[in-house]
Amino acid sequence: MAVQRFRSVEEMDAAPVAVPPGEGFERFARQCARYWVIAPRTYPRGVFRFRSLAEAQAARDRVTGDNAAQLRDLP
Amino acid sequence: MLRVLRAFDEEGLEYVLIGAAAMGFHGLVRATEDLDIFIRATVENVERLKRAFRAAYDDDPNVDEIAAEDLLGDYPAVRYYPPSGDLYFDVMTRLGEAASFDTVSAETKSVEGIRVRVATPAALYLLKKDTVRPLDRQDAETLRRQFGLEE
Repeated sequence: MAVQRFRSVEEMDAAPVAVPPGEGFERFARQCARYWVIAPRTYPRGVFRFRSLAEAQAARDRVTGDNAAQLRDLP
Repeated sequence: MLRVLRAFDEEGLEYVLIGAAAMGFHGLVRATEDLDIFIRATVENVERLKRAFRAAYDDDPNVDEIAAEDLLGDYPAVRYYPPSGDLYFDVMTRLGEAASFDTVSAETKSVEGIRVRVATPAALYLLKKDTVRPLDRQDAETLRRQFGLEE
């Protein structure tokens, strides 16, 4: 089904996305690759350890913020 | 991504894939920057993890900084940024008191001949539904709808 019609955003949101069985991971990998082209990122290197997920999340947010700032600074 | 999953398989790492990559295996596709895994919290398994990372990333010396005494002790979450610079890994042995390798139900999937242990949709839903991150709550809602999971 190439085109689906919806009467509302809610109806659209509730509709199952048609992913052929077994293709989910390949599609996921392609989706990640597409985002890399749109928004290239720079990560630190190495190993970081955290006492809690909240700590890990805060560190992730800092890296995300740095990358977003880099993108904004691009010509 | 695949070479790391292959290395996990070849080293016999006891792990469960959670997060967006796991959702991808269940046909729910969104992009992510990291691979999230729970590993069994044993010294031997942490060594398997390190061997797998070394195999996948040309003996990256940073892998030596991953320590079993951290993951089995006060640091249940470790983030590894490999030299490829294209993604990173969140490795966890437990999630507070709520979840660990032993409590997350999983199934074996296959991609390009690689066996991958993936958390079930219900397990992903339980992991994501009460977290503070809005994206996780959105994932939980998607899982609930698509797989008819109960609140």
